[in-house]
Amino acid sequence: MSNFICNDPVALNLWYAISALEEVHQGDVGQSVLLEQPIAYTRNEAGNVIAWAHEGDPNCDPNPTLPVKERFGYFWTSLGTPEGDVFPIPEYGEADRRNIHAASFGVNVSAPRMVENFLDMGHFPYVHTDILGAEPHTEVKDYFVEVSEERDEILATNCKFWQPMAAAASDGGADVEYIYRVPHPYCSVLYKSSPLDEARMDVIAIFVQPFNQEQVRVHMMLSLLDEANEDRNIRLFQQTIFGQDKPILENQHPKRLPLDPRAETPIRADKSAIAYRRWLSDKGITYGVIPSAA
Amino acid sequence: MTTDLQRNWYPIASSSDLPKRHVYQAQLLGREFAVWRADDGNVNVWENRCLHRGVRLSIGINDGHELKCQYHGWRYANRTAGCTYIPAHPADAPARTICNNTYPTQEAYGLVWTGEEATGDVPALDGFADATVLRPIPLNATTDMVSEALVGYKWNESCLGFANADGSVTVSDSNGVSIRFFIQPTDSHRSVIRGIVNSSLSGDARKDALKRHSWLLQELRDQVEAAASQKEMPAPYEPVIARVAEDLVNIPAIREDGPAADLRVTVAEKEMTADDILKVRFESIKGGLPTFQPGAHIDVHLQNGLIRQYSLTNGPGETDHYTIGVKRDPNSRGGSVAIHDDVKKGDVLAISAPRNNFPLRRDAVHTILIAGGIGVTPMIAMARALNVQGLSFEFHYFVQGESHIAFSQEISEFENAISYHMGLSPEETGKKLGEVLSEPGHARHVYVCGPGPMLDATRKTAADQGWADACVHFEYFKNENEVDDSGSFEIDLARSALTLTVNDGQSILEVLRDNGINMPSSCELGACGTCQCGVIEGDVLHQDVYLTDEEKAANKSIMTCVSRAKSKRLILDI
Amino acid sequence: MIKLYDYELSGNCYKLRLLMSFLGLEHEAEPIDFYPGNQHKSPEFRQINPLGQLPVIDDEGLVLRDAQAILVYLASKYDTSENWYPSSDPAILGQVSQWLAFADGITTTASAARLHDAMFYTQIDVDVARAGANKLFRILDEHLYFAELDGQDWICPGDHPTIADIACFPYIMLSEEGGVSRMDYPAIRRWTDRFKRIPGFVVMSGVFPAGPAVEKEAERAA
Repeated sequence: MSNFICNDPVALNLWYAISALEEVHQGDVGQSVLLEQPIAYTRNEAGNVIAWAHEGDPNCDPNPTLPVKERFGYFWTSLGTPEGDVFPIPEYGEADRRNIHAASFGVNVSAPRMVENFLDMGHFPYVHTDILGAEPHTEVKDYFVEVSEERDEILATNCKFWQPMAAAASDGGADVEYIYRVPHPYCSVLYKSSPLDEARMDVIAIFVQPFNQEQVRVHMMLSLLDEANEDRNIRLFQQTIFGQDKPILENQHPKRLPLDPRAETPIRADKSAIAYRRWLSDKGITYGVIPSAA
Repeated sequence: MTTDLQRNWYPIASSSDLPKRHVYQAQLLGREFAVWRADDGNVNVWENRCLHRGVRLSIGINDGHELKCQYHGWRYANRTAGCTYIPAHPADAPARTICNNTYPTQEAYGLVWTGEEATGDVPALDGFADATVLRPIPLNATTDMVSEALVGYKWNESCLGFANADGSVTVSDSNGVSIRFFIQPTDSHRSVIRGIVNSSLSGDARKDALKRHSWLLQELRDQVEAAASQKEMPAPYEPVIARVAEDLVNIPAIREDGPAADLRVTVAEKEMTADDILKVRFESIKGGLPTFQPGAHIDVHLQNGLIRQYSLTNGPGETDHYTIGVKRDPNSRGGSVAIHDDVKKGDVLAISAPRNNFPLRRDAVHTILIAGGIGVTPMIAMARALNVQGLSFEFHYFVQGESHIAFSQEISEFENAISYHMGLSPEETGKKLGEVLSEPGHARHVYVCGPGPMLDATRKTAADQGWADACVHFEYFKNENEVDDSGSFEIDLARSALTLTVNDGQSILEVLRDNGINMPSSCELGACGTCQCGVIEGDVLHQDVYLTDEEKAANKSIMTCVSRAKSKRLILDI
Repeated sequence: MIKLYDYELSGNCYKLRLLMSFLGLEHEAEPIDFYPGNQHKSPEFRQINPLGQLPVIDDEGLVLRDAQAILVYLASKYDTSENWYPSSDPAILGQVSQWLAFADGITTTASAARLHDAMFYTQIDVDVARAGANKLFRILDEHLYFAELDGQDWICPGDHPTIADIACFPYIMLSEEGGVSRMDYPAIRRWTDRFKRIPGFVVMSGVFPAGPAVEKEAERAA
């Protein structure tokens, strides 16, 4: 492995979403940063995305190029040698779904803090007031968390939270059901009961690209059963939710996620976050976290 | 390691920086503080992060009594910084030990002072008793550079400055005007100049002086910053964040009873608040009092050896004292009479830390509080909390007559919510309860405290009218049921791997104690819920009034002070 | 009805939502996909505003751009009390205009730093933008400190806020998103609390409401 600033082998060998495919154009060289390494990308004449690392001149010889996968509307790359493919989101391929790139936003926080906030329901009434939650309905009911050994991911199921505008058709609130997956140390996928089809769920995913240990770019992908709303409105709704989380995330101290169990105070509602912190510890991740001293 | 820097007192704000209902953000030696003044005037200096997820408390809300975190709505009490409510788990009383890091605070010379490890008093400053506080000037430079520049500070040609041993700078002119400048080390390369003038100015003279010094100090700031920008700045301080208590690492169980701390308090006030009802105010002899939640009670150890439980009536943020109500009951075993007759103002008593077996949910769309007689005390604490948070509630106070209404001053805070029901017969009370409880509904909750027959009537009426057991919360003062302590059985302690025998005439609690197992208890009459224990196997003969009928039927827990086994053996989760 | 070409995360659009809410004016929002869609730069939108910027209003055919200009227009037309834009007093009017221009400076510094950090406007020199924002905040903090000393709650004299307060509020409140802390500006922090307690105040994504104010003794007695 060449001399990257990031020396966390686990982080180096992961896949990362870098840009929405709709924003990568032939003839244009895009620039970004991954794990403190400047990278550039374009679409070649064959129509494939290529990406390369550089040391200041994005127009340098792109060879050797970095590995690239096109998944879920984004191109993914890695500075190392990832084992296997990007994790699956089977719903993405279903014919009747609308897959939307909601936006990519910069946030001054570590990737794991970002993921942990995404897993959290208790903040809905306070941060997403009157949208995803409303006082006094603040209870986080018991839910299940497991770490799937086979797929090496965290799964939180039977998560229910009271929402003021649960269904467009009713003016009263109701419990909405969620399932959360953490299939990648810096990515999470959420399934939310669909107002249109009781048996199926809408999918909202975040793919976090760490610029460095305390600054990230978050790519938000939606895969919905919605037939009524315009893409634009769905996108703007998602951005509103995201914009509400931002000041919270940027006011967390320390910005890196502390893995020492005595750094912060978990409650039962934080079961998924506890599992996530343990899972990161077990993987030996050091990037974007404060490892436990012991 | 504590350094001199950490032992010093530093001004971190002007008193005028802390209006009510505001949270001020400060930093000292790299550590950030959330600083807020409660409605009672007390200034709190806390670490600027919520213990839960590290979010700055300076973006939270000061409601005058408590500071609420913006992320999950956790509430922390004035003074103690103890967490009083976790909205994600509305039915739980938070563990008392969830407590933010607080720092010593003093307000003097128009400034608010703190220091990580400061002790004693802030330094005495002769001649500054009526000081005028200058507008503070933050700047990007080390304290050394600032100090050097301030020694040369001049508002007229006669000014002479010198550095004091404590790091401050004094500048005086020939007219007797003297300014003491303190330099707050925000971080290794950022500071705030805080000056006080040795005279009390007012009106235009004050404004002119403040403007002139604001201007001159900003000129000085610009020069120092220009010089600082040419220099290599030291690395920022890296303050160590204290780890949370070890017992908070694991997710707390549903019930959380802390250790019974023995506190010594003085009887600060003792006065009649109604016929036969005494209001007693306890204040701490040394240090603060622990955090309480509405519904909590304390054990009071009386001079005659008796221990009695009394509910706190305090409102949120009222953390500098505890107030209880005691009804004189000539038929009691001597506790209330002793307090009425023997306890005097100024006496020192031992009390336990507050325990909460009667937690108040705040996720109800509407709350109905029902009090009978002296049962009003926990209801007052609850009503005050609901009122401060602006939550919907109504309060029904069943009382013999006007002269029996206790705590009328506290009740005046929520006058619009109260209904008095005076001098009703048992039949009339039952009818009234029927009206009060006529509308069960989603997220509506009832809390009731009063004499046993009234509690029984409320529970029955509520059940008849369709209220779910889980929505009707009650606290008994005593268990008026006859307790059967006959027969022997075995208890297996699953976690301690012990088998013990409970003999005829003994309680489980006594047997546990005799074998060195520490089980917290309070009333020991099956009323308060303190000695609750999980049951893994075996049939329980419930004799308490604490558990609901549903809970009793579930057979998952037992009150070890009065309840026994129906089966030959019980396996307990201890 | 007034039509506002709007983007939720835009502080400049928020200024207009605030004023219309304070005045109880209804409006219809036409959401624009500012980011990532760049809809404000599309040929269709440039026919509405050739500068390709938000916000724009259309009030019964009168199309206006520029947040400060629209504040002046809306307050002049719809605030009959003349509290928000006291146009009959030249001295106050001059001060309001002065601080409206100052608010433009906040937009080119604090808002630019936020666009850099959140939406990757990499052409912006973020260090220059942050330094510029801090310079302006120092001036406003001193101004508000002395205003408080005179018993004045707002940027301009008088006992009622003006559109100058509205114009300055959003990008000050959002400054942390561009890496500009407000810790060194205690008078600004107190003013933002007061601003959030103006009757009719609404939040935008990224701005939280204030807690309850102290009840005035007079109100308690009443």
